[in-house]
Amino acid sequence: MNDQALIDKINEGLKDKVVVITNPAPRRIFFKVTTDNLLAAVSWLKHELGITHLSTISGLDLGQSFELLYHFANNCCALTLRTEIPREQPVLPSICEIIPGAILYERELQDMFGITVQNIPDSRPLLLPDGWPAGNYPLRKDWKYERPPEVIPGGKS
Amino acid sequence: MATLKTLVYLILYPGLLFIFFYSTFAEWYDRKLYARFQNRMGPTHTGRAGVLQPIADFIKLMSKEDIVPERADRGLFRALPAFGLAIVSVGMLLLPLWNYNLASSSPISFSGDIVVLLYLLSLPTFIFFLAGWSSTNLFSTVGATRVLTMLFGYEVPLFLTVLTPAILANSWRLAEIAAFYRQQPLLALLNLPAFIIALICVQAKLERTPFDIPHAETEIVGGTFTEYSGKKLALFRLMMDVELVVASGLLATVFLGGFPGGLLPGLINFIIKTLLVISLLSLLRATTSRIRVDQVIALSWRYLAPLAVLQLVVIILVKGLI
Amino acid sequence: MSFEIPIGPQHPALKEPVGIRVTVDGEIIREADLRLGYNHRGVEKLAEQKTWTQNIYLMERICGICSHSHATCYVQGVEKLMEIEPPKRGLYIRILVSELERVHSHLLWLGVAGHEAGFDSFFMYVWRDREIVMDILETISGNRVHYGINAIGGVRRDLDEMQIKHILDSLEVLRQRSAYYEKLGTTEPSFVARLAGVGYLSKEEAISLCAVGPTLRASGVPMDVRKDDPYAVYGEVPFEVCTAETCDVLGRTVVRIKELMQSYNIIEFLLKNLPAGPIAVRAPRRAKPNEVVSRYEAPRGENIHYIKSNGSDKPERVKVRAPTLANYAATIKMLKNGFIADVPLIFAAIDPCICCAERSVAIVDARTEQEKIVTMSSLRELSLKMTKHQARKREAEWPL
Repeated sequence: MNDQALIDKINEGLKDKVVVITNPAPRRIFFKVTTDNLLAAVSWLKHELGITHLSTISGLDLGQSFELLYHFANNCCALTLRTEIPREQPVLPSICEIIPGAILYERELQDMFGITVQNIPDSRPLLLPDGWPAGNYPLRKDWKYERPPEVIPGGKS
Repeated sequence: MATLKTLVYLILYPGLLFIFFYSTFAEWYDRKLYARFQNRMGPTHTGRAGVLQPIADFIKLMSKEDIVPERADRGLFRALPAFGLAIVSVGMLLLPLWNYNLASSSPISFSGDIVVLLYLLSLPTFIFFLAGWSSTNLFSTVGATRVLTMLFGYEVPLFLTVLTPAILANSWRLAEIAAFYRQQPLLALLNLPAFIIALICVQAKLERTPFDIPHAETEIVGGTFTEYSGKKLALFRLMMDVELVVASGLLATVFLGGFPGGLLPGLINFIIKTLLVISLLSLLRATTSRIRVDQVIALSWRYLAPLAVLQLVVIILVKGLI
Repeated sequence: MSFEIPIGPQHPALKEPVGIRVTVDGEIIREADLRLGYNHRGVEKLAEQKTWTQNIYLMERICGICSHSHATCYVQGVEKLMEIEPPKRGLYIRILVSELERVHSHLLWLGVAGHEAGFDSFFMYVWRDREIVMDILETISGNRVHYGINAIGGVRRDLDEMQIKHILDSLEVLRQRSAYYEKLGTTEPSFVARLAGVGYLSKEEAISLCAVGPTLRASGVPMDVRKDDPYAVYGEVPFEVCTAETCDVLGRTVVRIKELMQSYNIIEFLLKNLPAGPIAVRAPRRAKPNEVVSRYEAPRGENIHYIKSNGSDKPERVKVRAPTLANYAATIKMLKNGFIADVPLIFAAIDPCICCAERSVAIVDARTEQEKIVTMSSLRELSLKMTKHQARKREAEWPL
């Protein structure tokens, strides 16, 4: 299956759900769907195209909105499904029902971008320490790193 | 004169001093051999070829901070190392090394001493169990249950195989068994399968690879000894060294004809024969990987115990013939 | 009676900090839970503040074992963004180093597996022979761990005839030793008893949990980025994708040993067909606004970088997904209903590289109010104050 055939299939299967589809390099396809159609698109990819391997989910801070990139792969192509959610209301449906292996990436998104993933089976923080101040989402562009004060463990102030 | 001899027996040879120095030497030998099997150098620094390294380790551990966990059973936790060392050291006195008379029995060599020695070798296992259990650490608790679980595996085959030569020799006294096989070396060959099974069981009793399950480092950290430190750990390590010497001495007495010839030739015999047994144990340790506790039980009851029983039957038949 | 045992963050079985909490019922694990984040350094955030070239060295330091994987994955992506094509010889050397890295990583794993199973002799022997490949890497790049051989547009060091001969000679030794380890690792009874049937992960589960690398291939799925998405020169190198059908730790061992053999063949092919010419081209300082997905088959599995540029000399976003993170979900599955004794083996079987898996942001915040907060400058002041009236050592006088 070459890239063009795959693009045709996606256009045919998802029809008007696809907002835009590009093929910038050999074996690389990017296509965009709206958040409402995300679950439908992922489950179509899994059941109709047999693409089950989710490499990762990347988050991007675009200023006014967040862009999520779901990197899928099969044995001939790396397929990236992208969707955009507004910054004011960062809510995303969970795809763990369809692809169980996505859980860690979705938890990471919650940690790093403060995106609320609905229906996630396990919503604990993945990487950030316990007692991390609420409302700090490190990979947002407006978050600045400040060197914390040095601490002598067990010392008395 | 007899009092002096007893004092020498208790303190010098084969009493405490000899036990201490020889068991540390045995540990060095085991470590060095194991290292050479693995293409390593082993201890090199302290003493000639590192021979004093175990003593240095002992002294260093003795000088380290000694911590007793708050929630541990303090009395038991403290008493166990000394208690364990005492038990195995008494076992050493029962080996027919010197100062025994074949014709008459004495407090250190009597009919039935083989059973006493086996009993004394069983007690350390319970010491380890109590040590793990009383320190209330999770890893220690898991280690303690593993100690007991393993005990049910190897103990029966060990008893069967060690008693097999005794039955053939028609005696329950270590010195007499050894003397019997010295007179009839060919009969000792019959015990070869029993010797191999006993080696495996002793390896399990000493908790060395492939049976180092109760203190498997990568699984449950220190296992039974997780909470032990300083002096207590030093005593435990010395205890395991002494146990190694006593157990290999027992095998050498029962299967390899003991240590004849009085003071000096007996000593040389003892060293050569125990080192031979320790070499075999080291080889076993270097060539195997640790198995799981359920596999130990399966191995013991599926292979070792039936083979031991078979050996016993063969020996009884042979005994009927001669 | 069931209780919870903490394995990690500090534990002899783990070479790096990660928290596994297992709920055990006697010796049998009923529940397992992973706690990550102990090795979190903020690489992704930091990468947004560094230039393209500086980031090569940052990416290399994501991991201490597969350092070349991350650097290559990143460099490949950046080359696409900058629209430059590295010369053939440069690509050959880059892939040569990456295959050597695979050899050293798999040998390291083999030794660790022996150690976790309590087979220390195996560990010692394998690691002794791993030194051969470390020496090769040192002769090529000058370093043993962070090779620093990648540059945007090629590589930084060339190979000469003597080096090629040295590598080919050493390769023969490695081949023989690996064949011996294959025999030992798959026939030694006590070792096989520990590996076979442990950490079962069926093909369906492996696919649905998005496992990668040898973990996935040992479950019978022939997925290898080198074959599926041939980057650099893999399109012209002959090799096979190694799989096993046993779905357990033994299968993962076999897959890794087979991959070792394949890697030796690849290395030999690369050295014998090394084209002449330059090793690098000059790279521009900036990249046009664009985005790229770069994939690479690291020793542990698929490594994927998503890089977005914004026209400046710094990236807009670098997303790194190391193979270990992808395998964690499968690890939890494998741990359940196993023995405590198998935890280190199952966990080691995915070849965990915790520092790869956790990169993004790091901050250690003040824990509790009781702890005293001190700045470096106030510490210095304090020390000056404390020592002000004391005689300096060489001025001190003997009191008698």
